[in-house]
Amino acid sequence: MALFGRRNILLALLLLGAAAPFFVNSYQLFVANLIVVFVLLSIGLNILVGYAGQLAFANAAMFGIGAYGTGLLQVHFGLPFWMAFPLGAVIATSVGLAISLPALRVSGLYLALSTLAFAEFTRWVFLHWESVTFGAGGFKTPPVSFEPLPVSKPVGLYYLSLILATVLVVLAQNLVRSRIGRAFVAVRDGEVAAESLGIDLLRYKALAFGISGFYAGIAGGLYSAMLNYVSPEGYDLFQMVLHKAMIVVGGIASIGGSVLGAFAVVALLEGLREVKGVQEIAFGAILVVFILFMPGGIAAFLRRKVRGWDEPVHRAGPPPNPDPAAAARPASEAARP
Amino acid sequence: MLLLSYLLLSGVTTGALYALVALGIVVVNKATGVINFAHGELFMFSGFVAWSLHVGAGLAYPIALPLAVAAGFALGVATDRIAFRPLMKADVISLVLATVGIAFVLRGVARVIWGGKADYLAFPPITSPEPVMLGEIMVIPQQLAVLGGAIVVMLIFAAFFRLTRAGKMMQATADNAKAATLVGIRTERIYTLSFGTGAAIAAAAAVLMAPLTLLYPDMGFAFFIKGFAAAVLGGLTSLPGAVLGGLTIGVIEALAGGYIHSSFIEVSAFVVIMIVLIVRPTGLLGVSRVRRV
Repeated sequence: MALFGRRNILLALLLLGAAAPFFVNSYQLFVANLIVVFVLLSIGLNILVGYAGQLAFANAAMFGIGAYGTGLLQVHFGLPFWMAFPLGAVIATSVGLAISLPALRVSGLYLALSTLAFAEFTRWVFLHWESVTFGAGGFKTPPVSFEPLPVSKPVGLYYLSLILATVLVVLAQNLVRSRIGRAFVAVRDGEVAAESLGIDLLRYKALAFGISGFYAGIAGGLYSAMLNYVSPEGYDLFQMVLHKAMIVVGGIASIGGSVLGAFAVVALLEGLREVKGVQEIAFGAILVVFILFMPGGIAAFLRRKVRGWDEPVHRAGPPPNPDPAAAARPASEAARP
Repeated sequence: MLLLSYLLLSGVTTGALYALVALGIVVVNKATGVINFAHGELFMFSGFVAWSLHVGAGLAYPIALPLAVAAGFALGVATDRIAFRPLMKADVISLVLATVGIAFVLRGVARVIWGGKADYLAFPPITSPEPVMLGEIMVIPQQLAVLGGAIVVMLIFAAFFRLTRAGKMMQATADNAKAATLVGIRTERIYTLSFGTGAAIAAAAAVLMAPLTLLYPDMGFAFFIKGFAAAVLGGLTSLPGAVLGGLTIGVIEALAGGYIHSSFIEVSAFVVIMIVLIVRPTGLLGVSRVRRV
């Protein structure tokens, strides 16, 4: 394995992340936690858009549903965080599965617009279903406590996020190299061809939407606990553009890239705090510039320049040669056309 | 009855504006097969340009209007050059995300230039604000001006599209781009022209609308989604369909807002989009193709 390969860099980031609470102040810890949450969002979206090729715009809405689900279950039903949080993720996953239904009838531009309409519809519900969601003002969630453990809330939540993110990054890494991940890629590259190979479009599209809903739901639950506050404007179109910027900057169809994209986007977001207009210009311009001049993002750049950044969709390299006669010949001969 | 007539009139007025936005979306989609996600922001930005010319620089409304339309055309051409032409061969994901990027740049620029004064800018009315009675119905003259203006814009566009050489080349390209190339039409220019024309219609809609409501940087998306709802209802490739769809969306909104709750004004368009795309993706007047959606 190359020294600066993907695995070593991600491992170094993880170690840095694990040690971070010992040497950062509370603001920096908040930003670190934000990065971890955005890593989850970025990976979830990249599985759906990058691997499965479904251009959906509902990720910010899923993020919001996870946050609202987790928060509202605590407020209305008095559930403790550790129950409300997984349930919030389950709700986001089921909504993700539900919006995969239109994806069976429409694709490309039309899918983008119908999910965009769905996302705005969700935000409308957050704003106007006041008896449940408390409307435009949002609501406070009860503070999370890690009582038996000797850690403060921000540190405890940070480690919870980090552990979950680590597990889910590894899971995503394995998922995209599995049969499921290859089915996603096949659906993306050609629906008819995929179907002719026996890939059930309904099943794999729904699965991709469900997985991305799950990642966004987990991220939403953590985010609501981080802020202790949930309000509709956190889950608007700008949030959607941030998510899209993460995968475009990091690299479409790359798990390692998704992680780096989340770092880049949160760093820029924090650097440009307080100036909404400038943030919009910056992220809009980043999308355009990366798509035009660096398609494939950071991950594609690293793949070209640094060894060990390849992300094959097969675990064990290329499949064995099915032709026994070709396999019997010496390698030098088989390479000849 | 009075409420109904009032709602219908205001529905038709806003519907005519949605129809113009939808026309722009359809013009681009017919020629290029893509949807410009920055369309609403082109609309919003042109409205602000008109505000600067009319209120800021003190130009008369009839002069500010064509200048803002020209600015809209230029913005549309710029969108084509930045986000469509270099990506024509790329996948649809890149195309969509590039236009989304442009949308946010325009929105941010508008917020930096015009958003600082107050979040909402008022555009002075061009007619007397006093309502007049037409028989039983109370009419605000501004609404009639908007409606009349929208009809004029539609007629001008229809004449351009049917009677001029450029319009006919646009039709030919939309019908069959390869054949159009064979007969010597430079389709890339037609694509640019389509983006420009679509944005110019949106700009005209923005200038007509501005005296009726307020201008704010986030309005672009709202109009884009309503224009898209209108376009998709009309079938996305049909120009009369876009007009019909716009009027329908306007009336649905007004009735939902008047009889159910005012918050339903915003949501009707989203619901229409979701239902139409799932139930009948070809819309009302769209030609069904084997693999369109």
